[in-house]
Amino acid sequence: MNSKNKGKDFCMFALPGMFCFFAVVIIPFLYGVYLTFTDWNGVSKEKNFIWFENFKGVISDKEFWTSLLLTFKYVIVVVVLVNVIAFAIAYLLTRGIKGQNFFRAGFFTPNLIGGIVLGYIWQFVFSRVFVNIGESTGWSLFEVSWLSEPNKAFAALVLVSVWQLSGYMILIYVAGFMGLSEDVMEAASIDGASGWVKMKNIILPLMMSSVTICLFLTLSRAFMVYDVNLSLTSGGPYGTTQMAAMHVYEKAFTSRQFGVGQAEALILFIVVACISGIQVYLTKKQEVEA
Amino acid sequence: MKQTTIGGTKRKILNFLAIAGLIIIFIAYMFPFIMVVINSLKQKRDIIKSPFSWLFTIKGLSFDNFIKAFTQMDFLNAFKNSFLVTASATVLVTLLASMLAYYIVRNNNITSKITFALMVASMIIPFQAIMIPLVSIYGGNLNILNHRITLIFMHTGFSMAMSVFMFHGFIKGNVPIALEEAACIDGCTHAQTFFQIVLPLLKPIISTMVILNSLAFWNDFLLPSLVLTDKKLFTLPLSTYSFYGTYSADYGTIMAGLLLCVIPILILYVVLQKQIIGGVVAGAVK
Amino acid sequence: MKRKVVQRVAVPALSAALMVTSLTGCTFGFASDPDDPNEVEEKVPIDLSTDTFTYDSSLSGTNITLLNSKAEIQTALEEMADIFEEKSGVHIEVMPISDDSPYTKVVSLYNSGTPPTLSILDTTDVIALAEEKAADLSGEMWTEEAENYLTKINDKVYSLPLCIEGRGIIYNKAVIEEALGQTFDPSAIKTQDDFIGILNQLIEAGIEKPISVAKEDWSLGAHQLQYIYETYDGTSNGAQEVINKIKSGEMDLRNYNRMTDFLNMFDILKEYNVAKGDPLGADYDEMAIDLVDGKTVFWLNGNWAWPNLEEAGANEEDEYGFLPVFMNNDETDFANQMIQASPSKQIMLDGQIATETEQAAAKEFLNWMVYSEIGQQMLVKTCNLIPPFQNNPYEPSDPLSRDIYEKVREGKAFNASAIVPNDHWSVLGAAMQKYLANRSDREELIQSIEAYWAEQN
Repeated sequence: MNSKNKGKDFCMFALPGMFCFFAVVIIPFLYGVYLTFTDWNGVSKEKNFIWFENFKGVISDKEFWTSLLLTFKYVIVVVVLVNVIAFAIAYLLTRGIKGQNFFRAGFFTPNLIGGIVLGYIWQFVFSRVFVNIGESTGWSLFEVSWLSEPNKAFAALVLVSVWQLSGYMILIYVAGFMGLSEDVMEAASIDGASGWVKMKNIILPLMMSSVTICLFLTLSRAFMVYDVNLSLTSGGPYGTTQMAAMHVYEKAFTSRQFGVGQAEALILFIVVACISGIQVYLTKKQEVEA
Repeated sequence: MKQTTIGGTKRKILNFLAIAGLIIIFIAYMFPFIMVVINSLKQKRDIIKSPFSWLFTIKGLSFDNFIKAFTQMDFLNAFKNSFLVTASATVLVTLLASMLAYYIVRNNNITSKITFALMVASMIIPFQAIMIPLVSIYGGNLNILNHRITLIFMHTGFSMAMSVFMFHGFIKGNVPIALEEAACIDGCTHAQTFFQIVLPLLKPIISTMVILNSLAFWNDFLLPSLVLTDKKLFTLPLSTYSFYGTYSADYGTIMAGLLLCVIPILILYVVLQKQIIGGVVAGAVK
Repeated sequence: MKRKVVQRVAVPALSAALMVTSLTGCTFGFASDPDDPNEVEEKVPIDLSTDTFTYDSSLSGTNITLLNSKAEIQTALEEMADIFEEKSGVHIEVMPISDDSPYTKVVSLYNSGTPPTLSILDTTDVIALAEEKAADLSGEMWTEEAENYLTKINDKVYSLPLCIEGRGIIYNKAVIEEALGQTFDPSAIKTQDDFIGILNQLIEAGIEKPISVAKEDWSLGAHQLQYIYETYDGTSNGAQEVINKIKSGEMDLRNYNRMTDFLNMFDILKEYNVAKGDPLGADYDEMAIDLVDGKTVFWLNGNWAWPNLEEAGANEEDEYGFLPVFMNNDETDFANQMIQASPSKQIMLDGQIATETEQAAAKEFLNWMVYSEIGQQMLVKTCNLIPPFQNNPYEPSDPLSRDIYEKVREGKAFNASAIVPNDHWSVLGAAMQKYLANRSDREELIQSIEAYWAEQN
């Protein structure tokens, strides 16, 4: 683009989108950051500037740090599982197997179930279907509901998240595979590259932009997990599966410490921003440009 | 020659195993959705006592839940609201995001860099953190809540970051600059280049983003619940409020309502699938 | 080519199957079967013929909003609002809350500059908001009709108590009588030992685990644990007193007899729990069904459980009622003879944004609910609430509410509600879950309670 049209291009291509984004996301966010330095409780008329008082509250809130640690554990497991599974399924679904569109529609369904229904269905699966299996087979793994033991409840949370998120990522990986040129695949076959070698040396580098996106999305979504957490375990049994985002919400609205909750949200944001920043930087380096 | 045959057999077996595995995983993925379909046809008591007994036992199987959901949700009106909001916001965000992403990819200046970095970072802002500031600004100061157009604007704003991110990745990887340079020589303006050459190349990613965005808008509960208070403007997810009690919920009707809500999205997905396939272009332009 | 065909057939097949499901739903549509036994929504007839209430005609045409946090009366409130509009000309928009907590919703509405004129809230929410936002209602006439049920903040009344709710051990009389082969007189059970006696009789008669215990944190943290405050002396002031003592560290819960009493009773509930093997795997909705079917006969819960029992197949003629939560073996202890019943939801009037006319219209609606023949009827019959107003002559129709209504009239209910911080149920509910699952002992539970209160200072 030449310099004469720069201003015009900017106004036409970039400005409208940027306006929406700044007006809806950035300005409220900055306002939210400002609120963390005040003693406003959500309803009071006055806002007094209190500097880092709320952040002191965050430091002394042990449950927040416990929940953050648990969230880390959760994120690692979920990110790995989701991407491996979604990548593999998307690969199979773009190889031209019979009925692949039907399959794709099926793998899309986890995206359609949300909220209370999601929690209800899966609670049912863990508390009854699994327990029934346990009764008929005698496997101690399924003896009691997965949701009544901390470790198994955590596993349940991971399982449901993987189910839901991979349904989403499959879609993006499929689009990525579709964008790959047939020539590349054919050339690879003619060159005698097969199986693992082909995957590692040819497909994976070309898929890196999809991988970047999916890793980033799973990373951020897993860190922000709230809906599944709330509707499946609601933090239980006895508060052992409460993830960071849910804790933040509870702190702000259930415990009514709005300032502290807001400050915790900010800290959570900074942590996730750092981690995904590093991830995007690292994977972007692997990308091949067209 | 012999070697290829062995290779072929091996590949066939592998292929077979892969497909067998795929089918098993597929059933596991579909299972919850099938449960929703089955249980939407039952009374609450049967749902709780025997969620598995289904089409085999005719007793207790009925379409009452659908009728109830349809009437209590004021389905047609809510559908109209959801449709207007989702369609406008999806068109708007697809257009604005693809243009912005294109600008960022082709203009590697400081504004682009900062905007892109901010967008990437903003995707990890917990929504709960901006919920109250958002309503304070748009309600308390500007007083423009409770309009469809505000909701459309906010949906667009919130999905902008992720859409730009996706378009950005795709344009960088799949739209060769050589093509545009050729167009430039032919005397195309930038707008013409974008709409006539670049946009058609984006079909697969547009289809994907249309599905993902419209799914998000269509099913969203939190944002519309903050923006809309007038029941006449309620979108589909908001209009299911009457099925929830304080301590329990009307599961059968909720599931029927859920199905009524998601069917349009499922149809959209099935339709757009062809677009994703039809849009394999990268090979053709090289 | 073949691939294409599969695509064309298979993909639409899935959606077609779904379409059929939904389309048939629509075609059977609007003509619902009048003989359908599953149809629960029969309307209770309201007598509109007498109406001596005087409406202020100058308020006609006013629009006000009512935020409803009691989801189960949403439709009933809408009906009420319609009739009120017909009579007075005041339009009330009833706003539902389905996902958020009422507090979050109110906060967000205040921030958006459009707070509801009236809001139905929990008592804790009213206390949190009243002095900042609400209009003073101390001078309203209806305060006299609900004398004992008013919530006062610094001696002012900011809210109208909408209903009385009570809780205890729900029993299913018919099942007990059938199992034991004799008539069951709930008043004959006076102590913990009597209660254990009947439990053992029931087990002998074949009902192996007669009790349901909900595992939900709100049930354990609010409805169960709060007995330790409420049974201090059976008054709200007493509850406040004991809370202050725990907060300041003045009271050692290990030596507090109500703590021990409560845990003894809770251990009994645990022992005879139908879900003893996996108490945290229990399902709330299934408990209602078990009670109606006679798999269990007792359920610690409140009169709000009626819609669940009704859905599970119970009828208004069936005999359900409440036993007290027995705290010990002392027959003279009030806690062993009375059940807890106190006002639960409150209606608050916005005094910040609402105009004078709007406030006047809102006040008229409140008066209409308390004094007009129609309002009185609708509060009891349409909303199925137990009114706290002594001038309301109507009696609730479902057995649970009726039992509480009668117990209140006979003096067999104590009106004590502990005002605890909003996260009490969630934090201590989790501690109770741990105890219920045998993952902690009494000492650990007590420590959690003390730690919670210490943090509130």
